[in-house]
Amino acid sequence: MAINKDKNGQTNSINQVRYGCALGALHSVTAIPGAMPIAHCGPGCVDKQYTSLAFYNGFQGGGYAGGSVTPSDNLGENEVIFGGEKKLSELISATLKIMEADLFVVLNGCIGEIVGDDVSSVVSKFQEKYVPIVYAETGGFKGNNFIGHEIITEAIIEQYVDKYAVDKDKKIKGLINVWSELPFQNTFWRGDLVELKRVIEGAGFQVNILFGNGSKGIEEWKTIPNAQFNLVVSPWMGLSTAKYLEKKYNQPYLHIPVLPIGAGQTAEFLRQIVEFAGLDITHVDEFIKREEKEYYYYLEHFTDFYAEYWWGLPATYAVVGDSIYNLAINKFLVNQLGLIPGKQIITDKAPEKYREAIAKEYAHLAEDVATTVEFVEDGYIVGEILRKTDFGHKPPIIFGTTWERDTAKALNGNIVEIGFPASYEVVLNKTYIGYRGALTLLENIFTAAISKSA
Amino acid sequence: MPKKINLDIAEVESREHRLGTIIAWDGKASDLHRESGYESRACGKKKDGCRLCEVKGPFTQGSVCSEQMVECQAGNVRDAVLIQHSPIGCGAGQVPYNSIYRNGLAMRHHKVENIRIINTNLIESDMVFGAAAKLKQSIDDAWERYQPKAIFIATSCATGIIGEDMESIAREKEAELKIPIIPIACEGFRSKHWSTGFDATQHGILRQLVKRNPKKQEDLVNVINLWGSDVFTPMLANLNLRVNYVVDLASVDDLEQLSEAAATVGFCYTLSSYMAAALEQHFGVPEVKAPMPYGFAGTDAWLREIAKVTHREDLVEQFIEAEHKRVAPRIAELKQKLKGIKGYVATGSAYAHGLIQVLRELDVEVNGSLVFHHDPVYDSGDPREDSLGHLIENYGDVGSFNVSNRQQYQFYGLLKEVNPDFILIRHNGLAPLASRMGIPAAPLGDEHIAIGYDGIVNLGESILDVLAHKKFHDDIKAHTKLPYKKWWLEQKDPYLLAKHPEVINE
Repeated sequence: MAINKDKNGQTNSINQVRYGCALGALHSVTAIPGAMPIAHCGPGCVDKQYTSLAFYNGFQGGGYAGGSVTPSDNLGENEVIFGGEKKLSELISATLKIMEADLFVVLNGCIGEIVGDDVSSVVSKFQEKYVPIVYAETGGFKGNNFIGHEIITEAIIEQYVDKYAVDKDKKIKGLINVWSELPFQNTFWRGDLVELKRVIEGAGFQVNILFGNGSKGIEEWKTIPNAQFNLVVSPWMGLSTAKYLEKKYNQPYLHIPVLPIGAGQTAEFLRQIVEFAGLDITHVDEFIKREEKEYYYYLEHFTDFYAEYWWGLPATYAVVGDSIYNLAINKFLVNQLGLIPGKQIITDKAPEKYREAIAKEYAHLAEDVATTVEFVEDGYIVGEILRKTDFGHKPPIIFGTTWERDTAKALNGNIVEIGFPASYEVVLNKTYIGYRGALTLLENIFTAAISKSA
Repeated sequence: MPKKINLDIAEVESREHRLGTIIAWDGKASDLHRESGYESRACGKKKDGCRLCEVKGPFTQGSVCSEQMVECQAGNVRDAVLIQHSPIGCGAGQVPYNSIYRNGLAMRHHKVENIRIINTNLIESDMVFGAAAKLKQSIDDAWERYQPKAIFIATSCATGIIGEDMESIAREKEAELKIPIIPIACEGFRSKHWSTGFDATQHGILRQLVKRNPKKQEDLVNVINLWGSDVFTPMLANLNLRVNYVVDLASVDDLEQLSEAAATVGFCYTLSSYMAAALEQHFGVPEVKAPMPYGFAGTDAWLREIAKVTHREDLVEQFIEAEHKRVAPRIAELKQKLKGIKGYVATGSAYAHGLIQVLRELDVEVNGSLVFHHDPVYDSGDPREDSLGHLIENYGDVGSFNVSNRQQYQFYGLLKEVNPDFILIRHNGLAPLASRMGIPAAPLGDEHIAIGYDGIVNLGESILDVLAHKKFHDDIKAHTKLPYKKWWLEQKDPYLLAKHPEVINE
């Protein structure tokens, strides 16, 4: 059976990987305050996903339940031959004895899935005893961590939230469940989700942000059924969760593909939500006005630099990254800065069914600016495409990952690492979105651009 | 006579089968040494009673796998390509190893560039129907993209279970592309300890790359290492010897000429045991059988043995004397500054033995150590390589000496018992806990930092640096909560669950 090549020459090969596997979404569990993953997999799986997604990606760290805290049964030859259910059951019992967490999420990996371990029956024995524990089938061959994130999210709702939530039929007007970035994969997810929550709350809503420091953990998850609606802020991830919740709890959802960066985009974003919720527009207008006053105070001062810096600034750019950041950054660079799109490459394996809609967004980045987007997962091909792109008379600025460092050098361009893996960035609460994040993004773009001047 | 390494079999024999490796043990260094019975094992005699007892329990935290060690070795050969025949999750390793590779290239003054690892990206249907076509495609892609001098292909848990026949694909593509294509069996589940991954890579190199008809280079010494800074070249230049660093950051040519060298040395027997013994047994390259080059006693003996093997005895004594004199004043100063300081070593097995020697050379008190595994004997079976024995004999016993395969939950109790002022670590995973207990760690990313005479000084300086970090760690200790239950944190015995699994149901 021959392997097909797509129009860019992509085969099955993945050089310079740009996502983890479904099990890597164990980081979506560690992103929920108080939750702890339990991994049913080989001895290296947890470490690989951690060192990749959470360490050499902004050096985010494992936190309470990640890194080498995560319980894992490190399956061996014996379990491959005789099955690993007993070992998993023992690990869960021992975990409950010595680890402290509000919710445990068992993740099945490649080995358990291939040898056919019945993780469901192992876990259900604990569920029957009212242990807060759920399981998710996240074998690495099932897909990447984006898919794993949706599997885990729905598993927690189905097996835990639905069981323990009170007044599931009650709807609270103005309460929103927000589904947006993929924790840890998005290098800046922590700061971003805090800013996202801040601006939506500023517009007059209550927000279930669900992941990260701004989340109230499983108590917050238990109020998911009470939300007025679900808000999906991303080109595609989270849509399946929103559709699932629509069916399950009769909740409508609003899909906004563009994660807002900068004043213009954020105002548009907030007004869309307010309109969807049927809220009074006055409150949001006041908030926007306040925020813009602060935003433009800084932008006004920045103007001197942007208008008359002598030594040249980049005019064209390329963005290489996950759909969510790729689209968001494109919108900002075109509409706020007036930069010229060179080449846009989405690398998160966005499911085929969403690609047309995503591509359409690039066709109207602004009223007068349209571009195209490529879907590529193999980093070698990303490099080839960038090297062959005509960026005009001066080098481009590349928004990419550590993998693009060599390409940026070859093109004599600048690089801003905006996604996984960002192995030469130390990230704590930095955000690139909303009002405040946009300012930080400006700082980083132009510091990178001019630091090469001399 | 020790068992000869078998290079005729395609898959490496795991460490536990060859050496009796264990991953859990609790006691004193001297007890472990006695029960290991290095010499009687080396002679192939069965020990009295049971094998080395292993205290393994029902609770474990994520560890490390053999395939990661293949990435870290075969993936780091500069003009080769490593293909991971696996689902995409194994490919996540490309990210850490790329960063390490880039930093290593810079440290050793090579051109910095991305690591060349390709994942075959297997999906659900491949688990049912097999994925030979994908492996072949990825081999073609590797060739088309990089024209490598060799291609390594690594197995994974998934391909191991579905029974992919990688050897025949390798043979077929090797005939077609006319470059060595080297299958490496490194399924994570196959061995209880990841150091088997080192052996698996070395096994492939020995079988398919090392020259069969070597032209001897009498001044060339193989140094089996990782990415460490170049400390061996200046040191061995004093004996008119050149260095051939392998496996990391080597070229395929460097690997081919392994059989041409006058001798092989390492910085850690955990890493070098297999390659060095096989080079001697199959290619007649003598392995330098000596204590590892840590501390004065270790370094002196190591240099003397190299000189003996390479016939440079006339140069060595002078060099040793001059070196002792050169570093003595700085070491005396460091001893003053480190007076009363207590250290703890938590690293790979043989490496820990060496580091404890250096710490004791600096008069740092060491009462405890955690190693990730323990090899009761190394492949050569030569008692001069008995690194644990050398440590105990020359520098004394270690009261709390534990084998724990990077298990953080056990590390808590061990640290509490010993209460050190700092820890030395190399692999990730343990320092984050120490930090939350207010204990700073010196991460030895450059594995050569503690080697030789300068190593004693370097390590002393590094310790002073991290002791200053204590303020940060004390602050963190005061502001974080550990993820363990109070009941567990109060237990005295870190191996309680293994010894008394019944407590789990109490």
